[in-house]
Amino acid sequence: MSELLSNKELANKTVVDFLKKKEKTKTKFYFNDLCKLFPDDKPRQIKKIINVMVTDEILEYWSSGSTTMYGLKGAGKQAAAEGEK
Amino acid sequence: MAFISSGYNPDKPMEDRITDIGPRKYDEFYPSVIAKNKGKWSHHEILEAGVIVHVAESGDEVYTVRVGGCRLMTTTHLEEICQIADKHCDGHVRFTTRNNVEFMVDSKDKVEPLKNDLASRIFSGGSQKFPIGGTGAGITNIVHTQGWIHCHTPATDASGTVKATMDEVFEDFQSMRLPAKLRISMACCLNMCGAVHCSDIAILGYHRKPPMLDHEYLDKICEIPLAIKACPTAAIRPAKTKLADGTEVKTVAVKNERCMFCGNCYTMCPSMPLADTEGDGIVLMAGGKVSNRISHPKFSKVVVAFIPNDMPRWPSMTDAIKKMINAYSNGANKYERLGDWAERIGWEKFFEVCELDFSHHLIDDFRQQAYMSWRQSTQFKF
Amino acid sequence: MAKHKTPLLDQLESGPWPSFVSDLKHQAEVRAKNEEGIEFQIPQDCVEDLLGVLELSYKHGRTHWKHGGIVGVFGYGGGVIGRYCDQPALFPGVEHFHTMRVSQPAGKYYTTEYLRNIMKLWDLRGSGVTNMHGSTGDIILLGTTTPQLEEIFYELTHNLNQDLGGSGSNLRTPADCLGSSRCEYACYDSQALCHFLTNEYQDELHRPAFPYKFKFKFDACPNGCVASIARSDMSFIGTWKDDIQIDQDAVNKYVENDSAYPSNAGAHKNRDWGPFDIQKEVINLCPTGCMSFENKQLTIDNANCTRCMHCINTMPRALKPGKEKGCSILCGAKAPILDGAQMGSLLVPFVEVNPDNDYQAITEVIENIWDWWMEEGNNRERLGELIMRQGFQRLLEVTGIKAAPQHVQYPRTNPYIFWKEEEVPGGWERDVEEYRKHHLR
Ligand code: HEM
Ligand code: HEM
Ligand code: HEM
Ligand code: HEM
Ligand code: SF4
Ligand code: SF4
Ligand code: SF4
Ligand code: SF4
Repeated sequence: MSELLSNKELANKTVVDFLKKKEKTKTKFYFNDLCKLFPDDKPRQIKKIINVMVTDEILEYWSSGSTTMYGLKGAGKQAAAEGEK
Repeated sequence: MAFISSGYNPDKPMEDRITDIGPRKYDEFYPSVIAKNKGKWSHHEILEAGVIVHVAESGDEVYTVRVGGCRLMTTTHLEEICQIADKHCDGHVRFTTRNNVEFMVDSKDKVEPLKNDLASRIFSGGSQKFPIGGTGAGITNIVHTQGWIHCHTPATDASGTVKATMDEVFEDFQSMRLPAKLRISMACCLNMCGAVHCSDIAILGYHRKPPMLDHEYLDKICEIPLAIKACPTAAIRPAKTKLADGTEVKTVAVKNERCMFCGNCYTMCPSMPLADTEGDGIVLMAGGKVSNRISHPKFSKVVVAFIPNDMPRWPSMTDAIKKMINAYSNGANKYERLGDWAERIGWEKFFEVCELDFSHHLIDDFRQQAYMSWRQSTQFKF
Repeated sequence: MAKHKTPLLDQLESGPWPSFVSDLKHQAEVRAKNEEGIEFQIPQDCVEDLLGVLELSYKHGRTHWKHGGIVGVFGYGGGVIGRYCDQPALFPGVEHFHTMRVSQPAGKYYTTEYLRNIMKLWDLRGSGVTNMHGSTGDIILLGTTTPQLEEIFYELTHNLNQDLGGSGSNLRTPADCLGSSRCEYACYDSQALCHFLTNEYQDELHRPAFPYKFKFKFDACPNGCVASIARSDMSFIGTWKDDIQIDQDAVNKYVENDSAYPSNAGAHKNRDWGPFDIQKEVINLCPTGCMSFENKQLTIDNANCTRCMHCINTMPRALKPGKEKGCSILCGAKAPILDGAQMGSLLVPFVEVNPDNDYQAITEVIENIWDWWMEEGNNRERLGELIMRQGFQRLLEVTGIKAAPQHVQYPRTNPYIFWKEEEVPGGWERDVEEYRKHHLR
């Protein structure tokens, strides 16, 4: 595991910064997009960290039924449109 | 109605949480004759349509009575299934991949009472609750998807087209007179949750109009880059447009001739609906199979490019299906699946004997495999 | 009295086939009467409204559902499909009407006790409408509201020892044929393997990190009752390596048309096809022509048999698969979206199915494939498409499997081989000056 990924704070910050930067145009990303932030790590390792961010309520999933995407918790236009928030 | 808590505490979702336990273990649910003889079955025989006996090396027997089920099933109906299973089968029951229900008993004298009980149960509207059949060289239940009952992209209904079709082919559900088994599948959009691409006959919902654009709301409700990315054919691009009141809004434009009507954009963006009364309807495919028996598994081929939705019973669709089944039944050799028969007589004859029209829509022009389906030979029938 | 008039749906109540409309109407009445005094946690009349909105779709020829991005319960990335009605004012009972996928037991056997527990939970906290089963294989609970999702999950896990299934970009709930539990053709225990892998890969099932969905399906013999070859990214099909077991006496019973030995186990009973003729129906239909029947003796040239199952299906009391059993693994089946449909392509011709070492030979293949696909797969690219894009050779490379003629229907028909530098003696770096000594400019 790279230093970046093994440092939880730094890893979280990397992901959050990336998502914040893109937030204006897009709030949901594929897992692959997040993997690009950790070029030195294997997807299966990155998955563990990203999923902890979900249980830590930093990120949340979004699903089309067939594909899943990741975004910052509560971000995006559809959450409101669905009348669930 | 007062809220009843299960014990879950929304403020502490991780407290006392149980995860990753998977399904229940299969052998908790085996009837005793199955548990005892698993892996030691000698042979089986279909005694009559819907009734199978399996004989174990030990001499034990299990009699299975198979009945058709709607995969859309309520707890009221399930309760009735449970009552039958309690009364006849020691509280055990099994479901098949194709939405049939199997009641198993461990001796022959229990079969008739079970059959009589099943056959006696009728819905108030007149249909049978538990029709016995679905075995051997006949037509078993249709595997299908959600349709209008629950999905957002269907081009037709699933439960309704299935009911209409099964009513028409019911005789073949309860008998085994066909040359080989005939599998029908149904999927209500081209995503084909139900995977119908390898069935003897496939019913497929299909849209024919690209999405509409709700410009005023699109940018408010949807993330435009996501809608663009959702499109498998890259038909969507960002755009700006002026509303009637003069305000300029961000929106998307769709290159209509590239659209394959998949509905993925609507999944991502509710401001791009594509359902349409005239545009939507049914494609029929035929000649696929998944078994390795005699010939290789093969894909179904499109044999009717479009049939409009004629609710509630889709008569033109069931007509076309019946024509195919009859021609197949009359023309095929014993053991020949529908696709093998069509290949033997030639697809040009298939259209003739099934009395189906051929049109340019049925010639493949989708990506590289199209060429493989054209005729590179001077051998054909007039 | 029904809440909504449903003249179109009513026409689907007649005819012999079980009517889902009758069933739904009956359910609506049961909920309205509520003789059991259930404290419904979602609108009592949701089934009435479900019928109402369906009738409207029958009238319009258009769906009235919208998709929602809700994915699952806390920490899970799948198992729930979000659904909203686009006419909530007309049908408030189904305004929010989400699906939950419940992981089914392998083989789909049940006790009524278990079913009743699920039903009780679902009557209390949902619509009571289900799919038995969805086409992936899960038990589908059709229609509940967002606040109930966690409650249902809590009860499932705490009281029923039962987990959710998968949806989204993850491992989908695996599904199997009934195999050796009741079928004499089974070449391995599909339930045991299906259950083992489902549990082994719970993390992959609940926490999506794949490029797209991924499916395992298990057919215990080449008859393929769950259609794994067409419906799964990895298909495990039972097969055998040695000789078909023959009981010559039983063969002759079939030949003599003994009534205790109906050909094809009775599957053609309702038409008169004439007496069973072994030459016509078995020997001549064997796709490899590897059988003969002379002097009451059936001979199979097993080295040339492709294990299509025809002769065994036709004379099940006389023929059995061999004794050295295992499975073949095929990869990459997918539906036509986007580059056309693919069936599974043979990757592992034969592998032992050995529970004693936790199916090590099989999990090794799976994990090698996942590592490759997760690393190289594009967003929403199924395994079959990755194989097409990077080549079957690459699949062999990542799984460390040696190329064999079994992998192809026929060898390539073009000579455009992309030789790698290391495969060519001397490599690609050459001295043009040296060349020019013998070839003038
Ligand atoms: C011409 C197009 C297609 C046809 C005729 C077709 C046909 C079928 C058939 C017959 C089955 C098996 C049903 C059964 O007997 O249980 C099936 C299953 C399946 N198909 Fe297709 N299919 C098509 C396209 C697709 C596409 C494009 C996809 C996905 C991208 C797809 C995904 C699936 C899946 C996932 C299954 C298994 C469903 C399950 O998990 O139970 N199919 N298809
Ligand atoms: C872009 C493509 C796709 C989208 C947007 C999509 C979306 C969905 C949605 C929203 C559902 C839930 C329906 C409901 O329960 O209300 C669903 C179900 C399902 N999908 Fe897909 N799907 C896609 C492609 C596929 C493909 C390619 C397959 C198979 C290879 C597939 C297999 C399934 C299956 C098996 C179900 C369960 C449906 C059932 O049991 O009837 N889907 N899909
Ligand atoms: C890398 C690809 C190919 C190479 C290097 C190649 C090379 C050659 C050579 C060296 C000859 C003999 C020329 C001679 O007689 O002096 C030849 C003949 C021929 N090639 Fe090819 N060829 C290729 C592809 C094809 C293809 C794709 C076709 C047709 C589809 C084709 C059709 C023919 C025919 C018809 C002849 C004449 C054969 C004869 O006279 O008996 N070739 N080719
Ligand atoms: C990369 C592709 C191809 C290469 C490298 C190639 C090469 C050649 C060569 C070297 C010859 C012999 C020329 C000579 O007589 O000096 C030839 C002849 C010929 N090629 Fe091609 N060819 C190719 C593709 C094709 C294709 C696609 C076709 C037809 C569909 C074709 C049809 C022919 C024919 C008809 C001849 C003449 C044969 C004869 O003289 O009897 N070639 N080609
Ligand atoms: S086939 Fe299409 S419309 Fe039907 S349930 Fe699946 S995604 Fe929905
Ligand atoms: S329906 Fe499908 S192909 Fe057409 S624009 Fe939408 S996403 Fe693209
Ligand atoms: S796939 Fe083979 S082993 Fe499994 S149930 Fe079907 S015939 Fe039996
Ligand atoms: S299994 Fe098929 S290929 Fe093998 S001997 Fe029997 S009919 Fe022939």
